[in-house]
Amino acid sequence: MADELKPDLELDLKGLLCPLPMVRVSQNITKVAVGGIIKATASDPGSMADIPSWARTTGNEVVKTERDGKNFVFYVKRLK
Amino acid sequence: MDWFSFIVAGIMVYVAVAVFLIGSIYRVIQWRRAPKSTVKQGMFPRAENPFKRTLKLGKDSLLFPQVLDTDRWMWFFVIGMHLAGIGLFFGHLRLLFEITPLYNALGAGGMETLASWVGGAIGISLFIAFTYFLLRRFKSPYRELSVPEDYLLLLLILLLVLLGDHLRLTHPFDLASYRDYMSSLLHFKPAFSTAITFSADKWVLDAHVLTANMLLIYFPFSKLVHAMGGFAGNLLRSE
Amino acid sequence: MVTREEQDLAVKILDEKTNRQLLYYLDICTRCGICKDACHQYVATGDVLYLPASRAQLIRKVFRKYFTIQGKLIPSVVEATAPNDKLLEDLYRASYACTSCRRCMYYCPFSIDTTWFTSIGRAMLVAIGRGATILGELADAAIMKGENIDMFRDILIEGLKDTEDEFKARVGDPAATIPIGKKGAHSLYVALAGTHTILPMAIIFHQAKADWSLSLFEAANYGYFYGDTARAKKIAQRFVDEAKALGVQELIISECGHAYRVMEFLYEAWAKEKLPFKIRAVVDVMHDYIKEGRIKLKPGSLLEPVTYHDPCQVGRNGGFYEEPRNIVKAVAADYREMTPNREKQWCCGGGGGLVAESEFDTLRQVSGQKKVEQIRKTGAKVLVTPCENCRLQIEMLNEKNNLGIRISSMMDLVVESMDLPGAKPA
Ligand code: SF4
Ligand code: SF4
Repeated sequence: MADELKPDLELDLKGLLCPLPMVRVSQNITKVAVGGIIKATASDPGSMADIPSWARTTGNEVVKTERDGKNFVFYVKRLK
Repeated sequence: MDWFSFIVAGIMVYVAVAVFLIGSIYRVIQWRRAPKSTVKQGMFPRAENPFKRTLKLGKDSLLFPQVLDTDRWMWFFVIGMHLAGIGLFFGHLRLLFEITPLYNALGAGGMETLASWVGGAIGISLFIAFTYFLLRRFKSPYRELSVPEDYLLLLLILLLVLLGDHLRLTHPFDLASYRDYMSSLLHFKPAFSTAITFSADKWVLDAHVLTANMLLIYFPFSKLVHAMGGFAGNLLRSE
Repeated sequence: MVTREEQDLAVKILDEKTNRQLLYYLDICTRCGICKDACHQYVATGDVLYLPASRAQLIRKVFRKYFTIQGKLIPSVVEATAPNDKLLEDLYRASYACTSCRRCMYYCPFSIDTTWFTSIGRAMLVAIGRGATILGELADAAIMKGENIDMFRDILIEGLKDTEDEFKARVGDPAATIPIGKKGAHSLYVALAGTHTILPMAIIFHQAKADWSLSLFEAANYGYFYGDTARAKKIAQRFVDEAKALGVQELIISECGHAYRVMEFLYEAWAKEKLPFKIRAVVDVMHDYIKEGRIKLKPGSLLEPVTYHDPCQVGRNGGFYEEPRNIVKAVAADYREMTPNREKQWCCGGGGGLVAESEFDTLRQVSGQKKVEQIRKTGAKVLVTPCENCRLQIEMLNEKNNLGIRISSMMDLVVESMDLPGAKPA
């Protein structure tokens, strides 16, 4: 489990307003291999709903979310 | 009338007028029959009441203020061309009916002088304006924007104008003969006067009428319907 | 390669979208090119495809091929064309790049609305799977959120916690809350994703003693940008249903130009229903509060030179020219107008969904040059504008061109010049 969450790509999306964090994740998802993980850190609370909804509709998965101070951290796994 | 003139300057005239009228009405019906979107398309500021809206419609459709704002030369030629077009209409109408009040005021001689000056000026202005439109189309980006139809239409109109100018300007204008011809058309007995029949101008007149017929026939199917639909477009603007 | 079935499908969409307006526009364009100087994208790039009439011409070519006598008799004279790969590629660029500013409509002597063509172009592309991917993903995510709101409600409310604390502090009222799902509230406020349009409005509503409730959904509508009316309707319907359920009298749309346009001018036509409440733009609401004395601003409190940018969807296409100016002038000591302005204002270049589409980044940057020049000329240090897309675009222009200005929303400007009991946290 532990090494599954080792991100292949880290995105710093702090300061970006919604929906840009989601847009950046979408643009970068093909940069990791299928099964790979993107760690995205956003500061806009809107991303709390945006990124998981995006993942569900595009058939990817948010495997973990966590708070880091004022920021929100998402581990997004590419499934296809 | 020889058979060629009879076909071109006789029968075809009726066909052309019929196609023009029926075609134009058909186009209007076609527009009106299509469902109108319920989306309000107006832009702001909006005219506050129907009167102001009509005023704005008239201003936009007849004076083209936005063209003046964008391209002064184009505005100059466009306004000139449309005004000349109106003059042209009355000039030709005079071949059917005398414009009596004007005639009474000026007398026969005065009227003739006025007609030849105004007619000549109109003919030349139209030639210049359409030449400008044609040359403009050869310049980028208008060249890329143009389709063959645009050139053909301009060439057709230029030819029509040129032939008309020839009739109007090259020799003494035979008003009586042209009136006879127009009234013969009106009485469904197309005929040329002896003077025309034996002059070389017969062919020019035939060609002038032929190009006019072609323009009338093509009108309802060309972008020239902007003469009708332009008002509708400008009305949507202040919806 | 586009298949025959796809071509037929695209043509079918065109047929379905054909109505009276479109027929007028198809028939009357004289290709005079007057609209060329209206479009910021054509003016900046010189790319003929971006000339408004060229964008329309792509649809006209297809229409002529399938639906007109001329197209059948003399196809090459009127350039009747099937939607082949070349045409579809051009259509993609011409349609999705258009910011829907309708400046071209203002200048066209026949008032031809190019966006009518570009939105049909987008719809045709969506139908055959060639729509702009990212806009589709954004739209689907928004719909997904609407369909699974129970799953997201707590997350959203949780995300508001910090904002609510700050709100209480600013208004000096520990009992103040951000109401969500308040039955019978007078207005439902639809903010943008994130909290930057929630906090200031919460403060303004609180000070104006307004009876409001916050929507769980964001105002932005990527379905509209995508060019898919069905998706666009679903996205807007999320808060329409919410407003109906709460029984509010007005739906207030945040500072988001296209979202207001969608609700005020398009939604009822799409849904074929009359909405039981009024649609209001938040600038108009703030303006009323100020006029009625419900909130007080400190005149001249903003000392730096300020300018105002008319968002296309708020001004030319929305009708608010003076309200936002009055608000700015109420607080600015040195107000400077850009020229041209109001109905002739230049589009900033960020509308139409472009800020989300990285493929148009360069175009956005280049086509914003008119705006950059305008801003420079005023010498303003602050630019206020009530549209999120405009702000994102102008932020980018500011950075790339070293304009050195600060960009503010209308509501931030208002809050900054209000006398509040609590101080702004550092
Ligand atoms: S200004 Fe209007 S009529 Fe002229 S080319 Fe543009 S869209 Fe066509
Ligand atoms: S709406 Fe704006 S961006 Fe689109 S073609 Fe017209 S001027 Fe250009």
